[in-house]
This record gives sequence, structure tokens and C-alpha cells, in this order.
Amino acid sequence: MRGVIHWARAVSDDWSDIRGELTRAFDLSRDAAQAKESIVFVVRQEDLLGRRGPGNAMVATGLLSAARTAALEGASKGWTVNVVAHDEDADVALVETWAARMLESKSVTGELIRVGPGHLGKALP
Amino acid sequence: MNGSIVVTGAARGIGRAIAEKLASTGPFTVIGVDLAPELALSEHITAVQVDLTADDGPATVRETVERLAMPLLGLVNNAGITRDARLVNMTDEDFASVLEANLGAAYRLSMELAPLLHEGSAMVNIASRAYLGNFGQFNYSMSKGGLVGMTRALALSLAPQIRVNAIAPGLISSEMSMGIPDEIREKMVAAIPLDRMGTPEEIANTVWWLLTPLSSYITGEVVVVGGGRSLS
Repeated sequence: MRGVIHWARAVSDDWSDIRGELTRAFDLSRDAAQAKESIVFVVRQEDLLGRRGPGNAMVATGLLSAARTAALEGASKGWTVNVVAHDEDADVALVETWAARMLESKSVTGELIRVGPGHLGKALP
Repeated sequence: MNGSIVVTGAARGIGRAIAEKLASTGPFTVIGVDLAPELALSEHITAVQVDLTADDGPATVRETVERLAMPLLGLVNNAGITRDARLVNMTDEDFASVLEANLGAAYRLSMELAPLLHEGSAMVNIASRAYLGNFGQFNYSMSKGGLVGMTRALALSLAPQIRVNAIAPGLISSEMSMGIPDEIREKMVAAIPLDRMGTPEEIANTVWWLLTPLSSYITGEVVVVGGGRSLS
């Protein structure tokens, strides 16, 4: 398995903190793309809906959009980009298993996998 | 009610159409914010030239709002730039400048003005259909996706007094889209079920709808105005 699993860090609502976390994701994504390695971003499900404040929301939804865009670039090069979103009380080992599965898959890209039922009945991101 | 509405990126394209629409349908005074000096000026538009990415940019806009001494009825975060490149070639500057202009400036201005927004007012964030993914736009797509997250979070935190929504325009006839090579733009248009680019006025109409009580039960949503492109 070659690739990068990037867990989004919790951030404050201060812009410099948000910018720092998004820049960290850009740096590692560019490195991975240049090495033709796949990427999985791991975010919290409630952040996709903005439920833990604007800082965490901007990071989570920013990563999801970036993943969809990077996936277009990787599709013809053999590397993939996906997002795993998990509930607050999710089993970390289970999330890691799903992230590793996404790294191994060459046929699934630009996709959002949600671990746990927290997204049911909520908006599609 | 007479009041003011702040529109960023108001000198041209979609922002100019928004400012002119709001000024013509008012009873609003539009505070048009941009770096460029060619802001449309009328008795209903107050122009502010400010760099929103500068530390004191948002505070300068707030001071203008306070100086007008009118209720702040709306904020339209429209300003945006592109610096397209494949991810493998994207420079630190390409990334940072787009993130700062499209997301950082909108966020900092929203936080600066939110305490001034009148009860019943609304915020509209101009995202992009690129938040669903668009080749060669890692920076732009991330910034517009972030704007969608900001929209959802502020919709929750500012409810029930203030509504916050986003618009995701597709291919719109503007200076930004005219910078796309003709051959590529024609292919893009061919993929749009409505078979044409949208107009800045069509975005302005949607902004107006989201700012007024016509959309009074809508918050935290993204309205895609893209001629059906998301399906094709």
C-alpha cells in the first residue's frame, strides 16, 4: 500500500489556525501527487455540517472539495484521493481500516465514505 | 426598511451585477468593496477601496458601515481570484493567494460584520460549482469548499436572527470565464444542459432572492446556479 492518510486536526476559529491546517494538507497532497501516491483525508462527520464551528467546518469541507479536484488529476495517473468522515465516537481502528481500504482501491476516487450513522437524515455534503 | 448591504468584489463581473441589482431594487444603500477604482457609483452605491486580505481590511469596511449609520441588512461575500495549475505544479504562492482572497478575507469580514447584522438580515456567500471538483483548481476548489463549510457553521451559530446561504455559480459570462481559451470554453458550454453560459444578472437575481424574505425559511444551503451542469 502506497499513499498518505491525513487526519484533519481540530482547529480554533482563528483564521491563522485554519489557514495553517489547510496549508499542511496542501503540502502533503502536492508531495503525494508528485510521488504518484494516493491520498485519504480523514475528517469528522459533524464538521462537514458545520456543527463544531466555522474553523473545523472550513477545514473539513475544504478538504472534501480539494479531494474531488485532486481526484480528477489523479484519475489518469493511477493515484486516488478519497475522504473518510467519522462520527465523534467512532472506533479509531475501524476508521483506519476504512482509510487503508480506500488507499488500496484503484477504482474508487473522489469519494466520501462515512463511518457511523451520524450522517443519516442530514444534508449531503 | 432602509439599510445597507455590503458586496465584496463589486467592481466587475458578478459582483458588479449584484451591486447594481441591489441598488436598483433597494431601499438599500450598497457598500461596494473592491480594490479597483472602477466601482459603479450611483447615489445608492458607496464605494470602498480596500484590500480585504490586509490585517485592517475588514475593520475598514466595518467603519464604513458604522459611518453610514443605517441598519446592516446583508453581506455578500463575492470577491474571488483564480490561480489555476495542476496540483503537481502548484506553487506555494498559487495556493496561499487564492486561499487568502477567497476564504480568509470572506471569513474575517464575516466575523467583523456579523455583530452589526440586523435581526432578520442575511448573508450570501458566492462559492462556485468548483466546490464539487474542477480539474486544475485544487486551491480554488478548496477555498470554495471551505466557504460552503463556513456557510453551514455560520447558519447554525447566527440562527435564528440571521440566515446564511451560499450560491455555487457554474460557468458565468464574466472576465474570469473569458480568460479561458475559446476551445476549452466551447467544450464546457457543450456540457451544460441549458446550452449556454449563465449571466452575472442571473447570479444577482439569486442573491437578491436569498437576501429578501422570499427565502425566509432557507438557511445553511448551497444553491447551484449552473444550467444543469452538475448532472451532465
